[in-house]
Amino acid sequence: MPGVLTLALTKGRILKETLPLLARAGIVPVEDIASSRKLVFDCTRPGVRLLVLRGTDVPTYVRHGAADLGVVGKDILLEEGADDLYEPLDLGIARCRLMTAAPVGWTPGPGRVRVATKFTGIARRFFAQQGRQADFIKLYGAMELAPLMGLADVIVDIVDSGNTLKANGLEPLDLIADISTRLVVNKASMRSQHAEIQELIAELREALA
Amino acid sequence: MTTDDRWQLPDGIEELLPGPASRVEALRRRLLDLHRGWGYQLVMPPLVEFTESLLIGLGADIDRLTFRVTDQMSGRSMGIRADITPQVARIDAHSLADKGVSRFCYAGSVLHTRPTTLLGSRSPLKLGAELYGDASLAADIEVISLMLETLGAAGIKGMTLDLGHVGIARCLLAELDGELHDSVYEALQRKSLPDLEKLLEGVDPGLAARVLELAGLHGGLEVLDQVPTGLGDIDAAISELRQVAAAIAERYPDVDLYFDLAELRGYRYHTGLVFAAYVAEQGRALANGGRYDDVGQVFGRPRPATGFSTDLMVLLDLADAEEAPRESAIAAPADGDAALWQAVARLRAAGEIVINDLSASRDGRCDRQLTLRDGEWTVEELE
Repeated sequence: MPGVLTLALTKGRILKETLPLLARAGIVPVEDIASSRKLVFDCTRPGVRLLVLRGTDVPTYVRHGAADLGVVGKDILLEEGADDLYEPLDLGIARCRLMTAAPVGWTPGPGRVRVATKFTGIARRFFAQQGRQADFIKLYGAMELAPLMGLADVIVDIVDSGNTLKANGLEPLDLIADISTRLVVNKASMRSQHAEIQELIAELREALA
Repeated sequence: MTTDDRWQLPDGIEELLPGPASRVEALRRRLLDLHRGWGYQLVMPPLVEFTESLLIGLGADIDRLTFRVTDQMSGRSMGIRADITPQVARIDAHSLADKGVSRFCYAGSVLHTRPTTLLGSRSPLKLGAELYGDASLAADIEVISLMLETLGAAGIKGMTLDLGHVGIARCLLAELDGELHDSVYEALQRKSLPDLEKLLEGVDPGLAARVLELAGLHGGLEVLDQVPTGLGDIDAAISELRQVAAAIAERYPDVDLYFDLAELRGYRYHTGLVFAAYVAEQGRALANGGRYDDVGQVFGRPRPATGFSTDLMVLLDLADAEEAPRESAIAAPADGDAALWQAVARLRAAGEIVINDLSASRDGRCDRQLTLRDGEWTVEELE
């Protein structure tokens, strides 16, 4: 929509940390996102509206131009590839690490490693760089369970405090990437609404400082 | 195999039905006539060639976009063309080998192994022009002008012309080696300042600062003033951009100019000025091109080269969708005497559509019919 910037936010933990940051840049939703069941929100700042989506859907909305900007974890950008997006700003929130983990004391044997993960693309690239053959099992949650039940040898997952790993008898092994939340921009919007988007990026950058 | 499997077309493969097919064909003729008026000669390169001549480094992507088959006659690998530019380069370098300036245009289907954009077609209908044998800016300005004329003739309005120059990034990135160069190039395309900062941690701080600055150089004419001066290649590139911008602004005052000095599309084979035309709300360029000097080297004959291409299917989708006037046809009896046959021939020669009444139902396009009145076949309005 011309004249209106649509900003797609990732719901959940990232959203909680994004809202105060947006507020410092003068973007406050007119109703409470947490209690509303709506998915589109107008803002106190004219010309900006917010969408609240699942993280994996944010790059899709921004790529297709259904949203002009997005707030999304670097893990999702790494997994899905972000060639067709601009990624100008690290918002520095929801920081965590993407790591491999295995049962305490596990050592790689000969032959192929079985890897359970939500991030099969990242895992495939990582193991290839390590020069190790691996099989990948796509899971959608509770990766920690897979080694316990003998489904996989290793997992690739987001590690925050490491407490969930410890509680399930796993330990983190290799760091694959440091993850934080990024601002992404649609390439066409960057052209057609250049001044507005540059202004918004500058204000967010100031709010981060 | 069920009926549902039989009628489906592969993903991204389109067919054109009566209405759109005639509009695409009319557009193709109109645009090729336009190119003819500019002195561009039509060439029709073949659908398949040996991969050695198709994959001559014109874009890293072309390699994985090309469908391959084995030629049973020679045992060599053939590719179904994914781009026509390498074919025209071969024609210029080898088949014709003229010494002076050569201008070529083409229109034809290409095939891609995978769509190049989201929901994109795998069988674009490419139309383009290439100019060989002249390294001057006047050649670039001619090709950009022809590109804008082409889009204008296709009914595209409200264009933005993107101008860039690969010489700037190439000059800055020249000091980085191998893997780092590729990673920085990849992060620059995403304008990812956070990734660039991380990648450039170990690099000379002065160079790192300039690369980071490059990622932010996009916008109106003012960005050309923000480029650090004093580096020979960069100064030359900026000077070229200024001259082209001035010439285009004078010829096409309605076209917006946008500069993106970190736009690296075609960075690996372009050698100078790059350009693309966009319209609002469309993430993908409608047409793009640039200078790719010396590509004919692989055929033994390096030549200065510049050109552009566009996809007729995309243009048709975007052109003002004015309803084509309904076709008006004349119904004629399927069997009749020689006089009827001659009357039909005369009408067809005059450009009318004449359709034989073959069965009980008359073709829906007929609004007139041929009837015998006083021994003469005459055209009458249908009720």
